[in-house]
Amino acid sequence: MAAEIMTVEVAQASAAGLKAVGAGLAVGLAGIGSGLGEMGIGAAAMGAVAENKDMFGLALLFTVLPETIVIFGLVVALLLMFQ
Amino acid sequence: MFQPESMSRLLIVASKQQLEPVITELYRMNIFHIDDYVEKGDGEWEGFRIGMPLAGADVTSAALVKIRSIASAFGISKDTISDTERSSIKELKRRIEQDLPAIAEEVEKLLSHKTKLESTAKEYEQRIEALRPFTDAPVSMELLQGYDTISFIAGNVKGQVSLSVPCEIWEKQSKSGSFVIIAVKNSDVSTAERELLDFQIQKIQIPVENGSASQVIGEYEQKIEELKKEIAGLEGQMENIRGRHEFFLMSSEEFLSGNVEQAEAPLRFATSEHAFSVTGWVPTSKVTKVFENLDKVCAGKVYVSELEVEDYNEMPPVEYHNPDFAHPTQLFMDLYSRPRYSEVDPTLLMAILYPIMFGLILGDVGYGIILLIMSLGLRSFVKGSDAGNQLVTVLRNCSISSIIFGVAFSEVFGFSLPWHPIWLSRHINMGGAATEAAAEAATHGMEASVEHVSHIPQLLVLSIWIGILHITLGRIWGARNAAKMDHGHHRTLKIYSNIGWILVMWGILVLIWSNFGIPMMPDFSGLPVIVAGMNPAMIAGAVMLILGLVFIARENVLDLMEVPTIISHVLSYTRLIAVGLSSVAIAMVTNFIAIDMIISPQLKLLSPIGIILVIAGIVVFLFGHALNTALGILGGGLHPLRLHYVEFFTKFYRGGGKKYTPFGMIRKLTEQTD
Repeated sequence: MAAEIMTVEVAQASAAGLKAVGAGLAVGLAGIGSGLGEMGIGAAAMGAVAENKDMFGLALLFTVLPETIVIFGLVVALLLMFQ
Repeated sequence: MFQPESMSRLLIVASKQQLEPVITELYRMNIFHIDDYVEKGDGEWEGFRIGMPLAGADVTSAALVKIRSIASAFGISKDTISDTERSSIKELKRRIEQDLPAIAEEVEKLLSHKTKLESTAKEYEQRIEALRPFTDAPVSMELLQGYDTISFIAGNVKGQVSLSVPCEIWEKQSKSGSFVIIAVKNSDVSTAERELLDFQIQKIQIPVENGSASQVIGEYEQKIEELKKEIAGLEGQMENIRGRHEFFLMSSEEFLSGNVEQAEAPLRFATSEHAFSVTGWVPTSKVTKVFENLDKVCAGKVYVSELEVEDYNEMPPVEYHNPDFAHPTQLFMDLYSRPRYSEVDPTLLMAILYPIMFGLILGDVGYGIILLIMSLGLRSFVKGSDAGNQLVTVLRNCSISSIIFGVAFSEVFGFSLPWHPIWLSRHINMGGAATEAAAEAATHGMEASVEHVSHIPQLLVLSIWIGILHITLGRIWGARNAAKMDHGHHRTLKIYSNIGWILVMWGILVLIWSNFGIPMMPDFSGLPVIVAGMNPAMIAGAVMLILGLVFIARENVLDLMEVPTIISHVLSYTRLIAVGLSSVAIAMVTNFIAIDMIISPQLKLLSPIGIILVIAGIVVFLFGHALNTALGILGGGLHPLRLHYVEFFTKFYRGGGKKYTPFGMIRKLTEQTD
């Protein structure tokens, strides 16, 4: 039954759709990972800044460290979408 | 370049008669970084003790404390005062003696009067608060106390109050419960209070006042009003004093703190019964100046000599030595850690690369111009703050780079400019329009026009190239630092391990190139196979990789665990493009929602509701781009910083240098005399 409906156009369209789903998953899951990582650091950084305002620069820096993960996700998504 | 200012160590010895002229001259020159003398430990010289402050230090300190307390009461600081004029020292000295006590007394009197009035006003406010629940009570306040046999209980309760003892209850309902005043016999008070606990009573003290509550409150409010008027009058007087004496106060603060610093300088010197000696650091280029000037003020009765330095790694204080345009970037260096004296100072490279990376991320003419205007506008806000000024200058450089890259990328607020992107395009194909155009062009046997092709893979490869070169430079500097700062066997191992890291990275790259063709990178996959299915490039890559691993392992076997970071660090540079693309995407989506979805359809068929929608569309447009600008500053500013701190500095940077703080001050409000 399914084989009859599956034309070339449908196959191409679903391939493009799956690519988009994959790109979404890459960014979304990586974002969750980054968020989990930043959660603890951010809370501790807030505490440090509350104690000593001079820590702000370093605290901000440490907080954005896990951002790398989501950027890898973003790169993978970009490659999926535009390659 | 890439080196801190060269420093020389000087020793100054003279008899105690020369103490004052030497200190004054050193302070005036403002280039001598004093090494504090420590009595205990390695630095101790036999027979030398820490010196005593110069005469008059205590008097000066007392005057300084007085001035600072006045300044803090007025909330004035040096930064808020215009430094167009300068007061002469002579005039200042006279006024400090004659005028200062009178001013201090007047200010003190005004201040204490003001505090008294404020505390009275506060007390009245508290009384008003205490009276507030009783405003609706049908009795005067004096009737609620002072009886021999009857007591009153007041408080907030929950529910309908009923007591087993004889009593009279006045009740007023409110949102959270009710306020009651209960009259009971003195003998029943404890029973009543116990029963009231069941109604969750929160007792309120009945204030001692005469007259009805609202009447008393009115009286107090009037009194507070009068007090406030009086306080305002006092503030006016203080404002007047402040206006008249602001400049005098701040310039004498500067003069006196200079005096105190000089008077206390002997505490950092080594002194014997008749002589003193001090060591310190001076930029090498200014050594002769110190020799000459000291000789002059002491008429030759001083011995100054340049000392040998045993350990250049630790001892000298560090002063940056960079061209002017790189000065603002020193802020980022100090934020991380000041470089040590003998290591590479990467400030100059960062001053060049940081704006370029910022521009790569936020390459948009529109945002660039907004940031440029912002940085020019912020300049007046950060007046007087060095760090603020540096930050604003960095922002200015970044915004200029952003505009240049915007022109190259042909982008303004997510729209394209009337020309094609130069070299590489990062225009995203929203809604697949470009893909369709490309497909259509292909069916006609043509190439798609340049504006419809985005070069995202190429851009990613470009960012990887930046990463490879950046990290390689970091490792080269790592080897150079090891050569200059470490000693013996350890030094050799460290140099080789840095070379090893470079070999491993390039070995992996060559291996990849010999297997896959990647745009904008060398392609060795077509080379003829020589042995075991491997072409020459593969063999070279493998040799480099293994040799590198051996070099790394010789220094520390555990470092081999870090080898995968080579890949993650290099790939980390793709953020330059990825973050930039996300800002392009946000800008394009904003434009799409605001213009294509809301504004354009309404403009075709204008109706009254349509006009409101068009305005809403404009609001969406402005909000979206404001958000994107903020994200752009954060993304464009933090990511290059992080690439430097995490990916680059970890390869070579040690940090922990002492800051060069010369003995002296830059006078802003007083004349440089004596």
